[in-house]
Amino acid sequence: MSATGTLDFQPKDYKSDLKPIWCPGCGDFSVVQGIYRALAAIGRPPHEIAFVSGIGCSSRIPGYTTAYGFNSVHGRALPIAQGIKLANPDLLVLAAGGDGDGFSIGGGHIAHLIRRNMDITYIVMDNQIYGLTKGQLSPTSQKGRTTCTSRYGSLEEPVNPLLYVLAYGAGFVAQASPTDLVGMAAVIEEAIRYPGFAFVNIQSPCVTYGEEAQQIKGLKAIQESLASLGHNPADRLAAMDLAQQYGEKMHLGVFYRNPEPPPTYGDLVKERQALLSKDALPRERILDLFIKK
Amino acid sequence: MATRGIDYANLSLKDALDLAILIEDEAQERYEEFAVQMDQHRTPEAAKFFRYMVENEAKHGRELSARRVARFGSAPSAVSRTMIYDIEAPDYDAARAFMSARKAMEAALASEVKAHAFFVSALPTLQDAEVRALFEELRDEELEHQQLVQAELYKLRPESGLSDDDFVDEPAAQ
Repeated sequence: MSATGTLDFQPKDYKSDLKPIWCPGCGDFSVVQGIYRALAAIGRPPHEIAFVSGIGCSSRIPGYTTAYGFNSVHGRALPIAQGIKLANPDLLVLAAGGDGDGFSIGGGHIAHLIRRNMDITYIVMDNQIYGLTKGQLSPTSQKGRTTCTSRYGSLEEPVNPLLYVLAYGAGFVAQASPTDLVGMAAVIEEAIRYPGFAFVNIQSPCVTYGEEAQQIKGLKAIQESLASLGHNPADRLAAMDLAQQYGEKMHLGVFYRNPEPPPTYGDLVKERQALLSKDALPRERILDLFIKK
Repeated sequence: MATRGIDYANLSLKDALDLAILIEDEAQERYEEFAVQMDQHRTPEAAKFFRYMVENEAKHGRELSARRVARFGSAPSAVSRTMIYDIEAPDYDAARAFMSARKAMEAALASEVKAHAFFVSALPTLQDAEVRALFEELRDEELEHQQLVQAELYKLRPESGLSDDDFVDEPAAQ
């Protein structure tokens, strides 16, 4: 208990007994540490948090936390997270997954979550490869990338996750990396605190199938803090300019934070419910709606 | 390696001791994680060494905790785990599947060097004489830990010339 009477939580309070089975050296180990620290800083008890994921290496993450977890269906973390938030708006809802889960099979869901502006934080562990299935091209793989299923190199341009969510109007967009654990925990915390949809892209290296340039050493060589560039996170167009350098530079920090966050979907639903409730039929008379008088 | 929100200039001896205990806890926890990872990947030699490091860190943590209790009892702490990041704990990136005992020891040695550098860099910012003395002691202990790991390294037979990559499967078409 703190001096102010609130409960104090430590990162270990969010760590489950389940042992991660990621490859040793995987960037996701650092990501889950960043999440523990961010949650401890937020201070919500684990039973007030729901953590939803899709399928993939990184989607194992809810199981490694003490929050309510749902390792769901490939690409469907976001619809399930939205359902949870609608059913119980008091829960702190996190969604997580990989770049394949989020921007390939689940790509269509992101736009709709953004336009609804539900208060959900979406953490993507972007490793530019399908690691769980032994290293195939993912939506963020660089053009020319060779893998076991693309021996002569990819012919496709990669999806730019940062530009993608900025273009759809996400209110909070940030990028982090295990190369800077302090910054990563701070960015996740800020994303959770943002009142609305928040997106954090984490460049998390795949040590088994990832390219040399995408390992910690390679990432450190191209990382640049947005704060050190004097970037103003309220400037959406400047954020989009910087986001275009995805794949060449690794900018760390907050790209965009809407200085005037619009109402969330949850706020609008409450407003609508309040408006209609005075004329609403009591539950026992609900069938009257369908009976012609 | 970093800290967040720690005011070194005004650090009390109680909080400095707590900080040192947290640093040992973090390292102990990381070595435990590494030992489990090595077990999962059928690498018992590296797992055994990481467990040896778990014991070392735990022993050091217990000694510091005893000093803290003897001097300050159960007085509340002003520092927490959210304030420290990989001070003595090896980076997650230091572990690899099928790493040799030598690689495991080299990772631990790098962590002890990192911890030594932390105490060296913090010293000029400390104002309290007792805290300074504690940090100097901890700095010197990190050198002793380096020697401990180096002694384990010397016990190993020379490397065969094979690299870790020789034991890792290439990505294969499904």
